[in-house]
Amino acid sequence: MSRQLAHLSDEALVLMAARSEESALAELYDRYGRAAYGLALRVVRDPALAEDAVQEAFLALWNSAARFVPEKSKASTWILTLVHRRAVDAVRREQRRRADSLDHAPEPSVGGVDEDAWLRLQRERVQAALRSLPDAQREALELAYYGGFSQSELAERLGQPIGTIKSRMFAGLSRLRELLGEPGTEVSWTSTI
Amino acid sequence: MDVHDLTAAYALDALEPAEAEAYEAHLGQCEDCRAQLAELNESAAALAFGAVAPAPPAHLRESILAAAAAERSNVVPLFRRRFAPRVLAVAAAAAACVAVGFTVAALRPGGTHLVATVVLAADRTATLQVDGLAHAPQGKTYEAWVIPAGGAPRPAGIFTGGGLTLRGKVPAHAVVAVTLERAGGVSAPTTTPLVEART
Repeated sequence: MSRQLAHLSDEALVLMAARSEESALAELYDRYGRAAYGLALRVVRDPALAEDAVQEAFLALWNSAARFVPEKSKASTWILTLVHRRAVDAVRREQRRRADSLDHAPEPSVGGVDEDAWLRLQRERVQAALRSLPDAQREALELAYYGGFSQSELAERLGQPIGTIKSRMFAGLSRLRELLGEPGTEVSWTSTI
Repeated sequence: MDVHDLTAAYALDALEPAEAEAYEAHLGQCEDCRAQLAELNESAAALAFGAVAPAPPAHLRESILAAAAAERSNVVPLFRRRFAPRVLAVAAAAAACVAVGFTVAALRPGGTHLVATVVLAADRTATLQVDGLAHAPQGKTYEAWVIPAGGAPRPAGIFTGGGLTLRGKVPAHAVVAVTLERAGGVSAPTTTPLVEART
């Protein structure tokens, strides 16, 4: 499939989507659909629910692209935020067993032989950054973000005051930002094409 | 509970609905929290890439694109017609067409056209983007109007350039128009629309 829009920034694509350019939505899906699906699947642990979350998120993007403010946020952040919120809503709605997200081990071996090199690189960076966090911070981030637990649920599950949970989440995210923001780690899209 | 402390939890979607609502209300008034949230959102979204990403089923892409096409935002760009004023509800209320025409001509000596784009969401909220619009002059503002079929213009927000999210819902077959008004906006249009789009 040709990718005529491949040279455009994510942000430009969102602005085109705001003009109902379906090709721009398709290109955004080609860039982030896989990460979106992986995220949704990790949270909801069910392929059908993960598909629903991704579809709802991309339609939300489509319908509210005109409200996107490129100065305030990266388009990829916005897209993945939309996906995550829907996945968390789904997992809470479904009251699914989320305890298994406590286990870090049962990761599918890898994303498959066809996995995009860029995605693999991103995953390795993020996982390395997570591993370098203090255990308590990593646990709070993983349970909240991948497990879909609210801070109140986390406080109860971990037997900690809610203030402690909040501090761990804040410290963890801030440290992650430092680790991932280190220079030389920026990877542009063009390098993958 | 200090609502400032909720930024990280909000970025992780780890608030209960009522807490999230309270935080969002606070966010509208707290610039520090907005700035911090923007940063923490980036970190949280980075976590998305930490998940193993098997290929989504091939039909998902088609399903999304088909649904998007079906929900296709209703967009009707209309060129500005400086010399062909049409009798619109707005125009009927206009009192100073010539002055506006002059002001706009002065703003845009090249006479390039304006393009208004209305993006209507499924819940009938809408955004308006006007391309080619200069920043509103000192003491003036652009004001958007929603004119339901056969109804009177309803003020839908003021802006100084670019576009805005329209206040209230936009009914079917309405016209969205933009006029130049005094700063602060007015409750009924006093000038001819610079541009209009039909939903």
